[in-house]
Amino acid sequence: MKSFVSRRLYSATLMVVVLALLVYWTLQQKWTLGHSSFGTGYVLLATLFFLALYNIRKKLPVLPWASSSDWLQAHVYVALGTAVLFGLHVDWRLPTGFLESTIAVLYGATFVSGIVGLIWTRTIPAKLARVSEEVIYERIPMLRSQLCERAQEAVLEAVRSSGATTLGEFYSERLHPYFESSRRIGYFVRPNSRLRRRLLAELTEMNRYLSPDERETCEILFALVRRRDDLDFHAAMQWRLKMWLFLHLGLTYPLLAVASVHGLVAHLFDGGVL
Amino acid sequence: MPQMEVIANRPRRWDVPFGDAMREEDVDKLLQIEPFRSIDAERFPATLPLRGILKNDARVNYYPDGAIIVRENDYGSSAFLVLQGRARVVLAGLPEEVLGRPAQTKPGFLKSMLRQWRNPSLPEVRNQVAFESDLVSNDSHEVDELAETRVFVQDVPRLLENSRSVVLHAGEFFGELAALTRSPRTATVLADGEAVLLELRWQGLRDLMRRTDALRQHIERLYRDNSLRVHLRETPLLAQLPTEHLEAVAAAVRFETHGDFQWQDTYEPYTSKPAADAFASEPLIVEEGSPCEGLVLIRSGFARLSHHFGNGHRTIAYLGKGQVFGLGESIEQVAVEEPVRAKASLRALGHVDVLRIPQEVMRDHVYCNLPEHLLAEAAKKHALYCTKHFCSQPGKTLGGEQTQVETPLLEFLVERRFINGAQAMLVDLDRCTRCDDCVRACAATHNNNPRFIRHGPRHGSTMVAHACMHCVDPVCMIGCPTGAIGRDMATGVVEINDLTCIGCSTCAESCPYGNVRMVEARDAGGAIMFDEVTQQPIHKATKCDLCVDQPMGPACQHACPHDALVRMDLGNLGELSHWMSR
Repeated sequence: MKSFVSRRLYSATLMVVVLALLVYWTLQQKWTLGHSSFGTGYVLLATLFFLALYNIRKKLPVLPWASSSDWLQAHVYVALGTAVLFGLHVDWRLPTGFLESTIAVLYGATFVSGIVGLIWTRTIPAKLARVSEEVIYERIPMLRSQLCERAQEAVLEAVRSSGATTLGEFYSERLHPYFESSRRIGYFVRPNSRLRRRLLAELTEMNRYLSPDERETCEILFALVRRRDDLDFHAAMQWRLKMWLFLHLGLTYPLLAVASVHGLVAHLFDGGVL
Repeated sequence: MPQMEVIANRPRRWDVPFGDAMREEDVDKLLQIEPFRSIDAERFPATLPLRGILKNDARVNYYPDGAIIVRENDYGSSAFLVLQGRARVVLAGLPEEVLGRPAQTKPGFLKSMLRQWRNPSLPEVRNQVAFESDLVSNDSHEVDELAETRVFVQDVPRLLENSRSVVLHAGEFFGELAALTRSPRTATVLADGEAVLLELRWQGLRDLMRRTDALRQHIERLYRDNSLRVHLRETPLLAQLPTEHLEAVAAAVRFETHGDFQWQDTYEPYTSKPAADAFASEPLIVEEGSPCEGLVLIRSGFARLSHHFGNGHRTIAYLGKGQVFGLGESIEQVAVEEPVRAKASLRALGHVDVLRIPQEVMRDHVYCNLPEHLLAEAAKKHALYCTKHFCSQPGKTLGGEQTQVETPLLEFLVERRFINGAQAMLVDLDRCTRCDDCVRACAATHNNNPRFIRHGPRHGSTMVAHACMHCVDPVCMIGCPTGAIGRDMATGVVEINDLTCIGCSTCAESCPYGNVRMVEARDAGGAIMFDEVTQQPIHKATKCDLCVDQPMGPACQHACPHDALVRMDLGNLGELSHWMSR
């Protein structure tokens, strides 16, 4: 089993060597007063199609082609290499025309979304693994409603057995909205534990006014608040992992389309260079 | 409006007999010979008569001279009784090229593409059985495959020149070991001249043994005698022992069985107990600090190696089939000529068969026949039990496979008996992005039905997902009335024959890990199939089949972009250790 470090070293070395050869080739073209833009354009377009092919491979898992992990490795290093290739293609200058600028923006957005995705896919799983419970994304709404029911039942039981309504009132005012509703979009963008901390602090404060029966229920509520927060954290992080891919893929296809049009236009107006 | 329900026939145990149908007169003849003559037919219930078992769970096979009856290392699920002629059991391994094992054929690119294209959009769609031939169960594969490929061993005397073999005559049984323990064949058996054999599938053998004490004792004796020498020969230090000394060792060996054969029944209460109570409930085989009384060989099952730590016990390692306990202490005792005490305890996990070789037998028949350097090497290898937290000889390292696995993970794997898994699905939660590509890939290769759940018990960032582990001891197979669940002959993968599965859910209830799921079968239009007689939905047992028919192996592992998912033999700690430290 190859270690991740040795795999990274091998792939990075290969990428650097291939890029060095490409740079050398473009320089050679320049020294001989030739045009490298068509050559780099072809390579760039081919790499973009290759990068997009990974999604097709994912959709056809039964086919006997290389493993998804190998594809991802190739996808990452080829994509990183396209940054240099893009620079060589545009001769390290800022694009000017509408079509060029559109391609540059689309390429930049796709590239950056890929880099962000790479960072997230390498950091978020470890954060999720630190949460005490592992949950499947699609089950989160069901688990949330179960928690809400359990909290409600526990409080009703406490009210029935103790005859006191202190905890019941606190629950209906502060905790029920928390258990019943979803988090705001801000939480999904930047999950934090502020609400959990605040609710737990309020519950702790409330504890001094509770009867013994209510205190027992209060302990249950402590656990349920924590669990709900863990579920929300899972929901936010897993949503983020899904959404970035959606965005990345959403940018890929317009980029391919515009880049193909650009290639066609370049051929139509090649001015006899070819 | 689409039809919601459709009437179908639920398959039954004896819908199709085992191989070619036995005639009534064949059954009559069998009932005239031993051991069937002595069996009391009255002890069998009306639903499972003795005649029915012989008619449907047995078949008579003819073998020409030199024909291979069973092959070493194939997973067989039937036992044989020699009716006429002789069978030769070849104890030493024959070369692979003479055994005629067929190459595995996998579909190519186009076939795979077509397969995905044809996947039904509805879940659990089944075609109604069109031909009875479709119902042939897994059990008949072994003999059919050998017959179809017409494997003969040419020039038998020359081939057997360097092999030890035993000849079996009419009335003798063989193959019961693999059939009853769900393990691979330990020897190749050839027809020695023309031979006629009765083949009995394991369900039939099990039912006969349940109701016939004499037959059960006879089979158990054979089971012990036939496997003992093979097992001893596979044990380090005994492999090269001269025959007369090996016989002396064999005569002195004590057989012991610890724990329940059907351990899955106690799994749930066992795992829900506090760790200390669960540990205390494990049958003790050897206690730490007790005087060394010889060698313990694990014949089947698993045992936990532990030592006292604080107020409890810490797991050091686990031993499986073919592994040895106490060799270091035994050699040390001979070297220092003083009593040596066991450095660790050995406890049964589930059901364990062990062989004990007394210390004086080891001293008189084994150690005296071995050169000192071999003894020293063996002592070194077996004297150390190391994990990150414990080493039986501080300051030393084993250099072997068990040094890198952390004790808490080891405890987790042992307590939940995941060590039974030969192809467990491990997920590294530090790398898993929860993208579900593995689940989608599994569904794409199984008619749009995922055959595992990406969820399960976890320890730290390692999760053992709910996917069939293709266990070393697949207890799910024990109760299957039709033999629909069985091992693939060549690979040992546990498969379910969907056509012969009667949906009794015995396997799902037996699987201690909850990795077999029952589903409601539908027809192509989405209507749920109902049994004509009971008017109940027809259920089918489903589980991971390790994508045996896929060109790239398990689709789940192949589809994971982040190397977070792996199928792994948890009996091999070295493999686990490598994976953990990538």
